[in-house]
Amino acid sequence: MADLLTLVVIGLGTYALRAAFLVMAHRTPPAPVTRLLPYVGPAVLGAIVVPAFVAPHGAIAFAQTAPALLAAAAAWLAWRYVKRNLPIALFGGLAVWWLSSWAISAAGGLGLGPS
Amino acid sequence: MTSDSVTTTRTPPLSPPRTALADPAVGRALRDTLPVVLAYAPFGLALGATLGATHLPAWIAWASSPLMFGGAAQLLAVQMLDGGARAVLVVLGALVVNARLLLYSAAIAPHTTGWRARWRWLAAYLLADPVYALTITRFTGDHDDGPRERLRYFFTVGVAFWPAWLGLTGAGVLLGGALPASLPLGLAAPLTFLLLLLPMLSSRPAYAAAVTGGLVAVAASGLPLGLGLLAGAAAGIAAGAAMGGRLAGSRG
Repeated sequence: MADLLTLVVIGLGTYALRAAFLVMAHRTPPAPVTRLLPYVGPAVLGAIVVPAFVAPHGAIAFAQTAPALLAAAAAWLAWRYVKRNLPIALFGGLAVWWLSSWAISAAGGLGLGPS
Repeated sequence: MTSDSVTTTRTPPLSPPRTALADPAVGRALRDTLPVVLAYAPFGLALGATLGATHLPAWIAWASSPLMFGGAAQLLAVQMLDGGARAVLVVLGALVVNARLLLYSAAIAPHTTGWRARWRWLAAYLLADPVYALTITRFTGDHDDGPRERLRYFFTVGVAFWPAWLGLTGAGVLLGGALPASLPLGLAAPLTFLLLLLPMLSSRPAYAAAVTGGLVAVAASGLPLGLGLLAGAAAGIAAGAAMGGRLAGSRG
């Protein structure tokens, strides 16, 4: 029950963060802030995804980093050229990740890889 | 009159009933949301399986879905609780990860003028990453949606995504350990967030914001409690605004 209570507290705090600006009476922020807002989405999502691809397990290591970057490139290309189809881009990226992870571990087993 | 009779041969003789589904904003929102829900399926299932694999009672771990409605903080909080971390630290860590929602709230608020207060209170609960990404891309795009269209678009995206997220994470909890063993899904979450990011990269300052945010987050990834994410976000926003200001200045 203590765990549930902790989750409830986080839920209330999370709601407060989401509501902070939405429910304020004056919703037009001052001009210096307005200039920053268009970059919130790209900056936050960039800060989430780049570390996850460059250092999947918290550290840069060829056997993990290379397949993750290949998968990101594949998803990006698929999104760009297959009519911005999200499921194809996502599952294409996952497939490239699986294949390249398998290929690198197989090459490592044969003594071809950098490991 | 004659021109009317000519056009009726080409268009349906009766206009469709104005139900919610026939509303253009609702239809557009559903078409935009469905692919995102499909793309979220591996992430939601994998997260549910991870939640279910902790020593927490399954329903309590899953309750993080309706309580937080955001995968990153759910994962952090439930894993910290599973590891026996102190409640104060768990709350602190999850709220640092979710501090980006404060930025989302500020960015979306100017587009909600004309909405009644009760809709804005409700909208706050639904403001998750995919809901923010879809709606801000629509609201800042080359459209002239009024407050009513924006309201319908936002709530259709949110109300469509909410049961999908609860269902996907619930299915992951129920399917349990069978999923990750047979099907590695570790990269599903970053790939999903990458696909939310790509439509936002519509200008050079936006690219600068994303690249700077990413590189600073990598450099700061050693910081505790997920503070590297906040450091990256702050640096990325500053870089985007600096380049945007310089471009505007050179044009003016």
